Amino acid sequence: MTTGAILQAINGTSLAALLFLLASGFTLSFGLMRVVNMAHGAYYLLGGYIGLSIAERTGSFTLAILGGGAGIVVLGFLVDRFLIRHTGENHLAQVLLTVGVAFVIGDVALHIWGGDTLMVPTPAVLRGAVELPGGIVYPRYRFVLILFGVVVGAALWLLYRKTALGAVVRAGVDDREQVSATGINVDRLFVLVSALASFLAGTAGVVGGAFLALYPGAEWEILVVALVVVIIGGLGSLEGAMLGAVIVGLLDAYGRWLLPEFSYFVLFGPMAVLLLLRPRGIFGREG
Amino acid sequence: MNGPRLLVLGAGLGLAVLLPHVAGPFWMTLVTQMYIFGLLALSVDLLLGHAGLFSLCHASFFAVSAYTVAILQVRHDVPTALAVPAAILAGTVLALLFGLAVRTRGVYFILITIAFGFVVWGLAHRWSSFTGGDNGITSVPFPALGPFRIQSTFEYYHLVLAVVVLCAIGYRTLIASPFGLTLRGIKASESRMRSLGYHTDLHLYTAFVVSGALASLAGVLYVYHNRFVNPVAAAFQISVEAALMAIVGGSGTILGPFLGSVVILGLRNWVSSFFELWAAVMGAVFIAAVLWAPEGLVGLARRARAVARRAPEPETTVP
Repeated sequence: MTTGAILQAINGTSLAALLFLLASGFTLSFGLMRVVNMAHGAYYLLGGYIGLSIAERTGSFTLAILGGGAGIVVLGFLVDRFLIRHTGENHLAQVLLTVGVAFVIGDVALHIWGGDTLMVPTPAVLRGAVELPGGIVYPRYRFVLILFGVVVGAALWLLYRKTALGAVVRAGVDDREQVSATGINVDRLFVLVSALASFLAGTAGVVGGAFLALYPGAEWEILVVALVVVIIGGLGSLEGAMLGAVIVGLLDAYGRWLLPEFSYFVLFGPMAVLLLLRPRGIFGREG
Repeated sequence: MNGPRLLVLGAGLGLAVLLPHVAGPFWMTLVTQMYIFGLLALSVDLLLGHAGLFSLCHASFFAVSAYTVAILQVRHDVPTALAVPAAILAGTVLALLFGLAVRTRGVYFILITIAFGFVVWGLAHRWSSFTGGDNGITSVPFPALGPFRIQSTFEYYHLVLAVVVLCAIGYRTLIASPFGLTLRGIKASESRMRSLGYHTDLHLYTAFVVSGALASLAGVLYVYHNRFVNPVAAAFQISVEAALMAIVGGSGTILGPFLGSVVILGLRNWVSSFFELWAAVMGAVFIAAVLWAPEGLVGLARRARAVARRAPEPETTVP
């Protein structure tokens, strides 16, 4: 029982690391640009597929991660520039439009990579298991993933809270016009943050594709869990995405373990409670 | 309602009644489906077009009532007369619960309803001992009420048409009522309605539940039409497509959602017959609808009519 509980804690934390990669991009692009991009799930899946193809050709996992991220940066830029830009601040239009984009990406990916469940191959260094005290054996990859998530999270947090660039982004979240009036090129800032968000989604796909697998429909399953992260943490908040990812990751792991048939329901519970107490999430702001 | 409009509506209704006599079973099935999804789109549009709330969980009410009918009729031999009210009740109770989402607005409302929708899909998908998993529940019988028994798709077509027309009339009464006016007031400016003393949360909650009940009714019609139900009925795609239908047809109108249903389902049937990437085409329709026709077909028609009416004016009025 305790061994199981510990295993699930690690499972949950590694899922949290993955969810954070996806949710942080989503939440930052909402915070700064007021854009709800429902194509993030499709970015994840496509990034994973691109990484898969790269890994199969070159045998390099690092190249796969970078390539998956870079491919999505290009795609994300095009979607932003030619489609999302036309929706202004109409969230309803953004949601419909980006859902449409996700359908197109999903169908094209299905056409190229087929409907089978595929795994991104991992290098030998990351394969195998780690033995923990107490006789717990656990896949090494998941530990590295947790580490990766923590490093990315720390880097993002430092960038956001401790650098001049981060200060500008935070100012942009608070009052975009004012930032623009001080002579800062907000448009360029948008492109930068959006590229970062796309890159995170693309890499998340490669990293996640190595243990959750890639298959048609995975884009929505991962997106909705990332949405719950964002709803619980509070839209637009990086810290919220961190805390939300840990909560959701752990809930999901224990939910699947204890109540496999109702695992979605387990996620729904805290969301309903939150709706009653803090409708805008833990770190969400009023108004 | 003025004369010409009544005439057009009457002609449309006449066509709808005559259609199964001239069209084959393929068209009859497709058109029945259009009515059912039009009704679902109409339920979504009560929130979208009148209250300004964009719900993406209506497939849940639709699916819960469809599953209720299927489970009661197939597994427990419950007659239609009991299964249908139970199904609508089940969908409505779920709407009472999901209605919590009206504590939020805007993006939060959209995201929360998406998450709610996935809970129901997840249950349908994973709780296989109860829902039959991905296979769902098959061989649902035609509805029967005592001695009256639907025997064919031909008869069922007329039943669906009758229900849909009755719903449209009821819907018209609802949106013309003070309640409907209040909803549109909230859509236009919630803060103003609140300062006028309206309990806006309660109005939106009521609208949400009514809309959920209507979606449940669509679910009942759906399960008797399909004769089976599986997790696809609860899928996110159904919720988004219903919203898309309302928008493509013309949000805030009664005919719009049905028009949208005809366009979307017609297009999907047509494209999927020759093009493998039809789902991508549907995605492109989403994008096109948002970019070029945000007011939908009814909006386009209205604008065209307004332009046509205004066009000769400069010559006659400007001295």
